[in-house]
Amino acid sequence: MTAEGPPLELLLHRLAETPPDFLTAPVIGNTGAVHTAAVVNDLLRMHGAPDIENGIAELTNSQDANRLRLALVLSWLLADETILALHRPPGEVLAAVLTGSAELGGFVQARNAVDNGERREEVVRTTLEKLSLRPLGENESFARDRLTTLSTAERTRVLAASREAEARARAIREALAKKAAEESADKWSRE
Amino acid sequence: MNDAPPSDADRYPLITGRGRAMLKFLREHPAAPIYRNESGNRLTADDLSKVSAFDAEVAAHAPAWSPGIPPDWLADFIASCLRDVPRYRSYGFTSAALEDLPTVSRADLSRDIAEFVPDPVPIDRLIQFSTTGTTGHPLRIGSHPTVAAGYLSFHRRALRHFGIELTAGAGETAVVLVGFQRRCFTYVSVTPQMNEAGLAKINLHPADWRDPGDRARYLDALDPEMYTGDPVSFAELATLPLTTRPRALLSTSMTLLPGLRRQLETHFGCPVIDVYSMNEAGPVAFSDGITWHLLQHRMFVEILDESGNRLPPGHRGEVTLTGGFNPWLPLLRYRTGDHAALIYQDGQPQLTGLSGRPPVRFRSTSGEWLNNIEVTHALGGIAISQWTLHQAADGSLTFHCAGSPDHQALLAALTGLFGQTAAIDIHPGAVFDGKVIQYTSRLDPLSQSS
Repeated sequence: MTAEGPPLELLLHRLAETPPDFLTAPVIGNTGAVHTAAVVNDLLRMHGAPDIENGIAELTNSQDANRLRLALVLSWLLADETILALHRPPGEVLAAVLTGSAELGGFVQARNAVDNGERREEVVRTTLEKLSLRPLGENESFARDRLTTLSTAERTRVLAASREAEARARAIREALAKKAAEESADKWSRE
Repeated sequence: MNDAPPSDADRYPLITGRGRAMLKFLREHPAAPIYRNESGNRLTADDLSKVSAFDAEVAAHAPAWSPGIPPDWLADFIASCLRDVPRYRSYGFTSAALEDLPTVSRADLSRDIAEFVPDPVPIDRLIQFSTTGTTGHPLRIGSHPTVAAGYLSFHRRALRHFGIELTAGAGETAVVLVGFQRRCFTYVSVTPQMNEAGLAKINLHPADWRDPGDRARYLDALDPEMYTGDPVSFAELATLPLTTRPRALLSTSMTLLPGLRRQLETHFGCPVIDVYSMNEAGPVAFSDGITWHLLQHRMFVEILDESGNRLPPGHRGEVTLTGGFNPWLPLLRYRTGDHAALIYQDGQPQLTGLSGRPPVRFRSTSGEWLNNIEVTHALGGIAISQWTLHQAADGSLTFHCAGSPDHQALLAALTGLFGQTAAIDIHPGAVFDGKVIQYTSRLDPLSQSS
């Protein structure tokens, strides 16, 4: 976060207006509609990449739909003209997409990255941080503290939900295991 | 969760004196079989009103959609799955077109069924149905007494197609579920939504009876309005000297050939209805002898190719289900492993060419590849209840079947298909115990060989 980037508000506004195409299902195997690697490649060309970056294969091979959708959202964000004007090396931009989407993927649903105010801010700040940037007008310690606050709260919430989900799954498994086969309820026919 | 074994109060919460009298009659008749287990309807008053409402809903709504125009409930169903079901939520969508979503297989359900139970549904009265199937993926399905009771609503829909309205009530036996295997879960119960008419699940295997002659005596005493079973148990039922006749037979679990169906219909003087049903989805469709009519008004059917692409009407592929009536297992693109084509008749989606498991290819003596469904069709006129066909690497064929069907007719059917010079070994009198892998071929790399 050593350098100042664009104003936070401007990027939050851009994220809130992410076109629906960037939230379309990414291609995984035979399903989905948008090739994430192709979109990211377009972004890198906008940042001046002459060739396809090697690291992009990570997106082609990923089976994680949410991570791929976040990569699409980050591609939209990083195509803002204020970021293009910074002339960052394409390799750094790609690294920001890859590490940003991977890091956020476990905690932030792509849809929330656009629709939810706090998650939008987390996504913008995380993406800037991957480029060693902080929002315009903020000092480094404030920017770091704010990102930590946002991400810690979300991780705590997600981990609690995950523990709750695991407890319920365990209860369901135990409930099913306790019921003796067919000592259940009347069906008029059997399969 | 109560660890104590269920009591009669758990099994029959609404039972009255009439119901108790029916249970006593079913259990204590002098010719009764040895009932080996206990089970019940488990329906509370609140459940019963839900079951009645569901029955009216099923009666009032037919499955309906057109090519390219999905049913109106589908988008909301998909959204609720993506929001509430842990497995589907992990896809990372809040809404999506069905064809953009991944498919789910029996192996996925088998791996961890808990992932498929929605967050909002209570689990304090969860029940389970287990199935081993023939795919090597044993399944334990979460369900509920109201879901189990809901089967009857779909049976009634199928029966209505044949002009039959069930009328059994207090003091009468509504249904006997017949099995014919070495080990079988057997019990008696009553059906509250039919005024506590009796239900008996029995095994026709002589080992379950004090005297094999008791089988006919007992069933005549029960005089059930309907029997449900499979082709094997019905073939055995037809050997009994029954003097009573049901109003319908409902067959599930195994392929029912037209020849056996006709024979059973003639013998019992009533319709024999073949129902396509599975633990994961319940009764999906019934056959009118030509096509399969879908039963569930909140079940959407797609036909997919091996790569998961949706096939157009008339093309055969894997039957894939979305929706259902079990809130404890909402299905979102569930690949059943069964194959059929979807067609539209009078504006209604129907299935044709339905057969279980992926197609197996056999080679005729002329080198032509034959789909296993052609074998099923060729055998259609012969009254056999269960069979297997295996093709060895040298092209020779081994056919095992239950009972003693007409050898010449069988040979003619098979040589008509495979060629007059085909090497075919026919082994009648085979004893199968439960479902079998019907078709295998060493020549087809996709086939599981026995």
